[in-house]
Amino acid sequence: MRILKFVAAAGFFLLGNCSPRVPPTAIRIRWAHDPGTLDPLALPNQQAVDVANLLHCGLLQIDYDRQFYAPSLAESLPTVQLIGDSLTRLSYRLRAAAAWDDGHPVLAHDVAFTLKLMYFPGLPNEGTRAQYSFIRALRYDTNDARSFTLECRGQSPGFALSSGDFPILSEAAFDPQHQLRRISLAQLQDWPTTAPLDSSLATLAKRYLALTAGSRAGYLASCGPYQLTAWKKDRYLSFRRKAHWWADRLPNPPFVLRAQPRQLQFVIIPDAVTASLALQRGEVDLYPQMPAPEFDRLRHSSTTRAALNFYQATSYDIMYAGFNMRRPALADALTRQALSHLFDAAGLLRATQLGQGQRTVGLIHPSNRADYNDSLALVPYAPAKAAALLRQAGWQRGAGTDGGWQRRGSNGTTQFLHLQLRYRTGESAFEVIAFQFRAAAAQLGIPVVLQPTEAAVYTSSLQAGDFDVYVRVLKGNPFVFNFAPILHSRAIGAGNFPGFGTLASDRLIEAVAAADSPAHRARLLRRFQAMMQAEAPLVPLFFLANCIAARRELTGLHVTGIKPGYAISALERVEQPVPTP
Amino acid sequence: MANVTISSLSGPQKLALGWLSALVVAAIVAPYLPLPYPPAVPDLTQITQPPSGAAKHWLGTDPQGRDVLSNLLFGARTAVLLTLPAAVLAAGLGALAGGAAGFWGNSGRPALRYWLLGLTAGGWLLAGPPPTAGWVAALATLGGALVLATRRARPGWPFPLDSLVQGTATALDTVPRLVLVVALAAVAGEVSLLGLVTLFTLTSWPHPARLVQAQMLRVRALPFVEAARAAGMTEGRVWLYHALPHAVQPLRTVLPLSMAGLLSLESTLSFLGIGLPPDVASWGRSLAAVRYAPAAWWVFVFPAACLAITLMSLSSLTKQQANSR
Repeated sequence: MRILKFVAAAGFFLLGNCSPRVPPTAIRIRWAHDPGTLDPLALPNQQAVDVANLLHCGLLQIDYDRQFYAPSLAESLPTVQLIGDSLTRLSYRLRAAAAWDDGHPVLAHDVAFTLKLMYFPGLPNEGTRAQYSFIRALRYDTNDARSFTLECRGQSPGFALSSGDFPILSEAAFDPQHQLRRISLAQLQDWPTTAPLDSSLATLAKRYLALTAGSRAGYLASCGPYQLTAWKKDRYLSFRRKAHWWADRLPNPPFVLRAQPRQLQFVIIPDAVTASLALQRGEVDLYPQMPAPEFDRLRHSSTTRAALNFYQATSYDIMYAGFNMRRPALADALTRQALSHLFDAAGLLRATQLGQGQRTVGLIHPSNRADYNDSLALVPYAPAKAAALLRQAGWQRGAGTDGGWQRRGSNGTTQFLHLQLRYRTGESAFEVIAFQFRAAAAQLGIPVVLQPTEAAVYTSSLQAGDFDVYVRVLKGNPFVFNFAPILHSRAIGAGNFPGFGTLASDRLIEAVAAADSPAHRARLLRRFQAMMQAEAPLVPLFFLANCIAARRELTGLHVTGIKPGYAISALERVEQPVPTP
Repeated sequence: MANVTISSLSGPQKLALGWLSALVVAAIVAPYLPLPYPPAVPDLTQITQPPSGAAKHWLGTDPQGRDVLSNLLFGARTAVLLTLPAAVLAAGLGALAGGAAGFWGNSGRPALRYWLLGLTAGGWLLAGPPPTAGWVAALATLGGALVLATRRARPGWPFPLDSLVQGTATALDTVPRLVLVVALAAVAGEVSLLGLVTLFTLTSWPHPARLVQAQMLRVRALPFVEAARAAGMTEGRVWLYHALPHAVQPLRTVLPLSMAGLLSLESTLSFLGIGLPPDVASWGRSLAAVRYAPAAWWVFVFPAACLAITLMSLSSLTKQQANSR
């Protein structure tokens, strides 16, 4: 009997090793951190944006094949009509096939409802409000429930694209009684912050918050191709392709309306080294934004080259540092300029990215020759100049080598220059930047306390202003130049971590977003870059290269510099031939 | 009880003592050495460089561009400054708690002033009042205790000291020390060197306490203790001056082992990125850097060798002391 058992066990063991492994059905993608929320109005990070793009559809979406915006819910790009010298009308028509999960068509009322939610008091809409503030009204077409016109303040050529890049939400799901229809978009935009909501609107706000709380936002009625199947916070998010998605009925769906993977899983692995091991062991299929040294190491390793494909593209992701301007010691531009000279951007680019990236004077990519302000000089690493600027800002160094810096504040109090630098743990590049800045500051006698912070609480710490200096990656794109969500005074407490915002800067940011021609926009952008360098709320260090490593069986990545750097919905797993012995 | 002298040590033990002495000297003089590169300062032009004399990085650099030699020397400083005080303090705390528990058992009747002091201290620790209120209460109680001390002390109620010490030690031992320290460090956030010494002390005293308590049970029954009592000495003086010095003898043996355990614990914590601030050099943190560059053997081998030799040296000295007893 024992012999029989042994033979059976050995047989199972041999069969298990001889038969080809059944590949997992879901395509697994590494994320560095959890999106935190799936609320389509909040979208605090790229992960949340990626989720929104899976669950919902916008009027327009980025076509990663052509690397430009393409119509998604809309039939075509909007027709543009300039009115006078300060208004733009954008006319859209929704696709006839576009429908919610219950089969009801997506209509202009849904678009109007979504726009109104962006200004609805009490909802987490600070970011989207700042981004879409140029849309002043939506006019319905009385003859066609699928047609509407957006009235925009300004005549920026970018409006045609940016006006369609937000997830459309179902009015029926949130506001079945149509309570919001009696209030115009302009009324909500001008709603006083202290004005109370009437009971029906307050109920609507509560309903929205209840429906989008936690994972419930993933199960809302939507018109996107995927539905959430599981969300284990800080572990993974799983999505399943809808069996009956409206775009499947289109005879020849465009690229933006194709959703290839049947199942997707985003695996949260904060530590870059652990994520790399997971990729090598086949526990994830795709590792986007891989740190350059690890990317380089794997690419030159014979063992991993056989199993992985490597892709690289220019990206619009920028590594930068920021200062907390709400701190009295950092409230003046001279001090911030001085501290900017303590970042060795050139050395850091070489050390952390192996030189694969590009230094910059501001938030515009140097490859954008029209808008990049090449008359500005790169901020050099110059501790001596930093010390001179600090003295100019009124700081005086104490006696002795350990003497710190202090000055008299405007209210007569003594200010001390000691800093707390916050950065996200798990990536070597952030650590190197933090160490380099700390060492340079120490040379000048400025104490810097390093605060490595877990990804789960990093953004909330920045939003709460719990830092003096921070290091982060900002994701950009080459189409839209709207800096309101990150630098407008309205975004303080949300995406404007430094707390920057003056009347002049707010006006300039709004003017950039509303510029009526590329030439005008270029002039304004150059002014904006000069202003940012003078005010120094941020220190742009360098643009990163987009390094992606994927299992060989994964195809259809369409690697690009546009965030998130690849086309999620175009991914496909192709079975690799099993090598015969 | 034989005395340990240099001449009584074997060859390997002499080497071990030499290594540990060198470590202590390195820890003391590290800030004054003419090192070409200080620790925690990245050399951005020399990332993950192997050992060579080209850029004066004699033991190479880690993936963050930090000099391995500097990190080793300052890591030794951290190891000495952390493990030696923590082991001594844990032994001291354990000796006091275990010695008292073994001497008085559950039948001690502390005077009223000690009850008062104990209750206030306990209440302060458990309730966690604002520091000012705590200090005021502590000072008031101290004053009251001093007033009571001038009068003739009357024995109070019996206090279950032995059960309390044994119970607390058992409660601490039920949770693995690494898990306990990780949990406490996570609650406290980032901890300083002093904070980590306190944490190690508070989680490491049960073992010495048990040893001293067991020894005290034997010592308190010896004739010289009875003789001291018969001579009219107070119980406190008998405990402190006669019984305790004999009961703490086993700690001489376990102190190096305790240090070795704490060194391992600190290295593990640093390897996991918990505990000490990131700019404090540590062998464990140096070891962790190899994750970013698995091919950089020098990032792993040198700190691992230092750690292994130190642990073996401490273990070797323990054997010598155990043999000499």
